[in-house]
Amino acid sequence: MNQFVFEGKQKNVLFGLMALGVVCMLLTWFQDDVYHTRFWTNFLHNSFFFTGIAFISLFLYCGKVLMYSGWHTVFKRVWEASAQFLSVGLILLAVIVGGVYFGYHHLYHWADANSVANDELLQHKSKFLNKGWFLLATLGFGGVWYFWARKMRSISLDQDKHGDSTYSYYKLAKKWGAIFLPIAGFSSAAFIWQLIMSLDAHWYSTLFAWYATVSLLVSLLAFTILLLVYLKSKGYYHQVTIEHLHDLGKYLFAFSIFWTYLWFSQFMLIWYGNVGEETTYFKTRMEEYPINFWANFAMNFILPFFILLRNDTKRKYGSLVFISIIVLLGHWLDFFQMIKPGARHTAHELIEASANHHSSNLESDVKKVLISNTEPTKTIVSEEVKPEEHKAEEVKVGETHATANHAENAHMESANHDGAEAGHEGHHTPEFKVGFNIPGLLDLGTFVGFGAMFVFFLFIQLSKAPLVPINDPYLEESLHHHV
Amino acid sequence: MGAYVSPVREPLIIGNKTYHQITEDICSPTEKTPTKQFVIGFILAATFLALYVFSVTWTVWVGIGSWNLNRTIGWGWDITNFVWWVGIGHAGTLISAILLLFRQKWRTGVNRAAEAMTIFAVICAGQFPIIHMGRVWMAIFIFPYPNTRGPLWTNFNSPLFWDVFAISTYFTVSLLFWYTGLVPDFATVRDRASGWRRKLYSNLAFGWTGSAKHWQRWESLSLVLAGLSTPLVLSVHTIVSFDFATSVIPGWHTTIFPPYFVAGAIFSGFAMVQTLMLVCRKTMKLEDYITLEHIESMNKVILLTGTIVGVAYLTELFIAWYSGYLYEQFAFYNRVFGPYWWSYFGMMGCNVISPQIFWVKKFRRSIFITFFMSIFINIGMWFERFVIIATTLARDYLPSSWSYYSPTWVEICLFLGSLGLFFTCFLIFARFAPVVAIAEIKSILKTAGDNYIGPNAVHAPHHDTHSVEEDNHSHH
Repeated sequence: MNQFVFEGKQKNVLFGLMALGVVCMLLTWFQDDVYHTRFWTNFLHNSFFFTGIAFISLFLYCGKVLMYSGWHTVFKRVWEASAQFLSVGLILLAVIVGGVYFGYHHLYHWADANSVANDELLQHKSKFLNKGWFLLATLGFGGVWYFWARKMRSISLDQDKHGDSTYSYYKLAKKWGAIFLPIAGFSSAAFIWQLIMSLDAHWYSTLFAWYATVSLLVSLLAFTILLLVYLKSKGYYHQVTIEHLHDLGKYLFAFSIFWTYLWFSQFMLIWYGNVGEETTYFKTRMEEYPINFWANFAMNFILPFFILLRNDTKRKYGSLVFISIIVLLGHWLDFFQMIKPGARHTAHELIEASANHHSSNLESDVKKVLISNTEPTKTIVSEEVKPEEHKAEEVKVGETHATANHAENAHMESANHDGAEAGHEGHHTPEFKVGFNIPGLLDLGTFVGFGAMFVFFLFIQLSKAPLVPINDPYLEESLHHHV
Repeated sequence: MGAYVSPVREPLIIGNKTYHQITEDICSPTEKTPTKQFVIGFILAATFLALYVFSVTWTVWVGIGSWNLNRTIGWGWDITNFVWWVGIGHAGTLISAILLLFRQKWRTGVNRAAEAMTIFAVICAGQFPIIHMGRVWMAIFIFPYPNTRGPLWTNFNSPLFWDVFAISTYFTVSLLFWYTGLVPDFATVRDRASGWRRKLYSNLAFGWTGSAKHWQRWESLSLVLAGLSTPLVLSVHTIVSFDFATSVIPGWHTTIFPPYFVAGAIFSGFAMVQTLMLVCRKTMKLEDYITLEHIESMNKVILLTGTIVGVAYLTELFIAWYSGYLYEQFAFYNRVFGPYWWSYFGMMGCNVISPQIFWVKKFRRSIFITFFMSIFINIGMWFERFVIIATTLARDYLPSSWSYYSPTWVEICLFLGSLGLFFTCFLIFARFAPVVAIAEIKSILKTAGDNYIGPNAVHAPHHDTHSVEEDNHSHH
């Protein structure tokens, strides 16, 4: 069976899971935090996670071509197929980008004109963190990657049809693959900075991009193991033996340790340096989101390390599948904990700010602009902050929009609130909330929905070409692979 | 691994070798009278070593005052040299351990010399922190032992202290790894020798007989050591980077330092391997074992790690700007355009820009260009450490403390002298030990020899799949 057939039953199951995802997202929307932060963070989180996996499979694929790697050839179509998900990823990310551009979500602190006006740091960063660049770079980088995914795929398919002993397609793949690596190296860093790191817009870490990239790589490896085991159970890929899975298991082990190395380096250096601007990131996570923080470490280091350390656990389906599920979920959780705290903080800060404007507006209406220039008003505003904090979290959907719109209108006057704004900038501990402090069923359901979509597109791609590439110069090596 | 070899793989051993011919080729340099080239090289190296001994003595006798370090710039050439040498010491273990785990067959041509290089480079590196103490006998205090000084212990919180352990562990494991590989080869030399050489090599070979049991234990020990040294390759330069990054000094305190230092170390290590291997293959006639394919592979690693280092440099610059943190921005502005701008541009030019010529296959396979590039990169990586250390320290928080540092003759001679130490050790090694791992190169002959694969192969690779396997197991 060298031709994958995407059966109706599989489609139905996947559609069902996608529907589950949609239902979860709808439910999330209707019982959400302010500004639908849970919904939007979930959307960003899963879009980024699966687009990232698609990107990293292209990256690994190109790397493998250049490293003269032979053993993986038999299942290289899987990575070709998963890289094609970049097209869907682009659409998903376009929604996020559109949200920044047209302001229908409030994920990014730097995208809020009011905040930027009052924040020197955000003004400084606006040369990079601005709507125009965000739009161009996110879609531009994604587009370039997708182009490359198509290119590498077409070279591989051409090789199936016309490949001969000159191995011209293999050489061509090496050329295109080589060019992709530096492009990917630079663009993925910027991509991660602007989509993920900028959620905590004040915070920065030079290691962050590499850390997130390796997280994606480990996710891909875990996903690959799961997919290959599934396909084997369906009778495909009898050529993929336990030897290949053993090597994938070694990769999973090695890169889990490498991920931990980067995790530790970033954490330890910031902890040791003890500079307030940097430690706030981990302080927030350790004190307000301890479950995410420690589960991340346990699932992505402790478990894979001890389970995969032995030789035999890498050669048994049971242990491999078990740890792959843990690690895939673990790295999903890793991005969960990267994304949620910053976005939630931003949303609360924005709603507080706009609630302030709203209430002070009720008092003095339009002429407030004039009054707010005087000292006394400033103190009144800052006194009102405290009670409003509690109200702010209960603001309902319609009101949210009203206040948000108002915030836009109040753009000019807010400049006068400098002192008041600085006074209440996120010094309260947010209450424990499922969907932020810990992934809830709705978040997991959304993950399953996105995952099903990912698998759906992957299966479509997989069914378009033979599973095992013929005419690949490394094919025989891969078929005879043993460790 | 499978015995089938893809037709696109280039042979790694050329010249239609037999097992016996390999033994002859590799053992013979240790058996002949040293060549003139060797003697001249050795005298030169030993002279520099004497210079080293002299300048260390001078430093200890006169004191650290004979250097140009000052209140602002407490680390200068000394720590630059230390980090540079440690970095060079990375390629050997990377080649022997990580490439072993990745089953890269080309490692067998260069691993022995690279491991030797690692050991000598770490020896050189380890001297500098001790010399920097001025009163070298105080080095005893870096060891945490129960003492009569009451509660006075080493500072366990200090990355400088972690360094002591990281480097000594790395040195120990690398030494074991290197020597384990040498044992069967020493036995080969022993079996060909007579007289005092036979005595010497039989001591060195630890009574190796080549029995199946010996090989079995040797194989498992190699694998265990590879597993142990893989994290060590990362940890050593990581901890060296902690020496800087745990501080709060702008320009030093940055989270990318650990992996970026490791990439830089591999980069500089490979450059030094290239320098040494190009000389070795020429003078010892090892062109059949260290082929253009090896050189090209190493140039690819150099291109890759050079570009990773480039990404890191630009990341640092970008985040310094992005942080909006004035001191961070100044530190990097100063690094690029400050009084030491020339070292920054030297670093960028040698490490990031010039290796890009290796995108062209012709240059990757050019011995001339490779040799010059390897020297370039050695210089560039020295500049990198100088840039990080001196330019950062020269511009303090207080402009009144700003200073400029240039070395005295003692510091320059220490550096040049350490090269003498390194090359003296390496030449002694090249004289007495097989520079290419005989047993390991033999293990790849039937899957990478040009008489078995590639266009010159006597027969097509398809046919002898099974016999290759059997041969592989029985050739010892």
